[in-house]
Amino acid sequence: MSYVDKSIEEIHSALKEGKITSRELIEESLQKSKEIQKKCNAFVTIIEDAKEKEVTDHLLSGIPFGIKDNYSTKGILSTGSSNTLKDYVPFFTATSIENLEKVGAIAVNKTVLDEFGMGATGTTGHTGIVKNPWDKTRMCAGSSAGSAAAVAAGVYPYATGSDTGDSIRKPAAYCGIVGYKPTYGLISRYGLFPFASSLDHCGALTRSVKDAAIVVDAMKGIDPKDMTSYDSKDMHLKEALTGNVKGKKLCYIKEICDKKMYPNANKELKEHLENFEKVLENAKKIGMEVEEVSIDKELLKASASAYVVISCAEATSNMSNLTGIVFGPRAQGKSYIEMMKNYRTEGFSPLIKRRFIIGSYVLQKENIDRYFKNAQKVRRMLVDAWKDLFKKYDAVILPVGSGPAKLLDGSLDILDENTVILEEHLQIGNFGGFPSITIPDGFVDSLPVGLNITGNCYDDENVLNIAYALENTMEYKNQIAKEVNNG
Amino acid sequence: MATFTKEMVENYADKLLIGLTEEENKMVLEEFEVIDREIDIVSKIEGIENIKPMTHPIDDFVCELREDEVEQAVTIEELLQNCDDVKEREVRVPKVVEE
Repeated sequence: MSYVDKSIEEIHSALKEGKITSRELIEESLQKSKEIQKKCNAFVTIIEDAKEKEVTDHLLSGIPFGIKDNYSTKGILSTGSSNTLKDYVPFFTATSIENLEKVGAIAVNKTVLDEFGMGATGTTGHTGIVKNPWDKTRMCAGSSAGSAAAVAAGVYPYATGSDTGDSIRKPAAYCGIVGYKPTYGLISRYGLFPFASSLDHCGALTRSVKDAAIVVDAMKGIDPKDMTSYDSKDMHLKEALTGNVKGKKLCYIKEICDKKMYPNANKELKEHLENFEKVLENAKKIGMEVEEVSIDKELLKASASAYVVISCAEATSNMSNLTGIVFGPRAQGKSYIEMMKNYRTEGFSPLIKRRFIIGSYVLQKENIDRYFKNAQKVRRMLVDAWKDLFKKYDAVILPVGSGPAKLLDGSLDILDENTVILEEHLQIGNFGGFPSITIPDGFVDSLPVGLNITGNCYDDENVLNIAYALENTMEYKNQIAKEVNNG
Repeated sequence: MATFTKEMVENYADKLLIGLTEEENKMVLEEFEVIDREIDIVSKIEGIENIKPMTHPIDDFVCELREDEVEQAVTIEELLQNCDDVKEREVRVPKVVEE
């Protein structure tokens, strides 16, 4: 009998009833970690000496979980999946992880990401490519690739993730699970390796909306160490899940969802969009109003470039402390300048060197207005457009990506102009700091696909309740990956 | 539209103390051209000149200052534990001042 592949409430009941102990759960989770490591390469570190904890009334007590390897963990290797930090052991723990540990949660592994979170494929971590547990020839997407793979494979009920563009919500869709990025500042970012500080969010990957609510209830809270965090003691995510959504209003965007927008759509895209239409019908059946809205296509298309410019610029600023002198493996050199250059040249992968150089370029005095400021203006225009929608609607509902997980061969972060809006629209949730959740909504070619629900800032309870109600109209809650292709 | 050269990419990389291979340089050069083309479209969006750049996701964010209280600091031993070259309580680097 396996327990770690159950829901948090089921595992908690089993612990309380004495059907299993915290020690046995850890052993089961460690054993599964090793199996999934062989199949999917999901982990940087497996914490073999993880200790059991007392089971209390808190739902997370005594239960194992995973931590994305860009969260600092005291005394445990924290690499950001980068060679530049391949031996880095922090002297402190990220606040959100401390919050989980305080209620009795037990970390059993650190999961692989795209280097420093700066990728969308799960293929650029220093320990190698993460494979999708449904189909090993396909990617998990990124950057929270290892967390998504492990949760989907049933290693534990949840893992932490971080999301700067869609890094929780896209991997969740590709792996058939739930990925939730709350309002900016709900969860402290202290101890999360920064990528682009005005876009970075902490969050969780789970197998159900209720589990996502339980985990983020425990992770969140104001933190004196993160001045952008805020007091959310009156927000109770799990308690908000009533399932009553009568009269709630959803909208979807014609320019993203309408099949007519994709005259050359392949079979996967067509089925993905048809699947999404079925869920809209489900939404109406449970009492929600669903309307189509229109947003300027040129503005939507500008989102991806604005994202690249802003995220690269902020990343360039954040990488300045990576010198290899005070921490990180020191490189050889006759001067400290030569040492730093060798450290960065040898340590960074080509893809993130590219990001840093773009960031440096757009921030130069002669370029800043044309690139950086214009990108920030696009950001405001998109956020204003979404805020206008939230005046009338509770949430925007959209399909995630253009179909199921992409093949690992030949799909490395290259934008397809025809589907760029469909692939990249989740970034708008980061531009505006909006609460945003992906849930599985069906299958295309036996592989999972997902949809996303995004609402206004601080309206997390409403967004999660809508996701919860919709999840209940489908059959994908608590699903575990069934391997359809072992490569 | 701006014109991008290999030397230009080299120069921006050098400012960041990053060395590039020929292949990496080519990759950045190609991406520059894509971004420049996109930004060219962005700069022609109607009314964009009147928009205020957005630097932070939360517009109504209120920054609260904490009390100026003394807190426990991190020990030097902890701060130095990830450094590869330490002498007593200092980080050792090659001599900076040339003779």
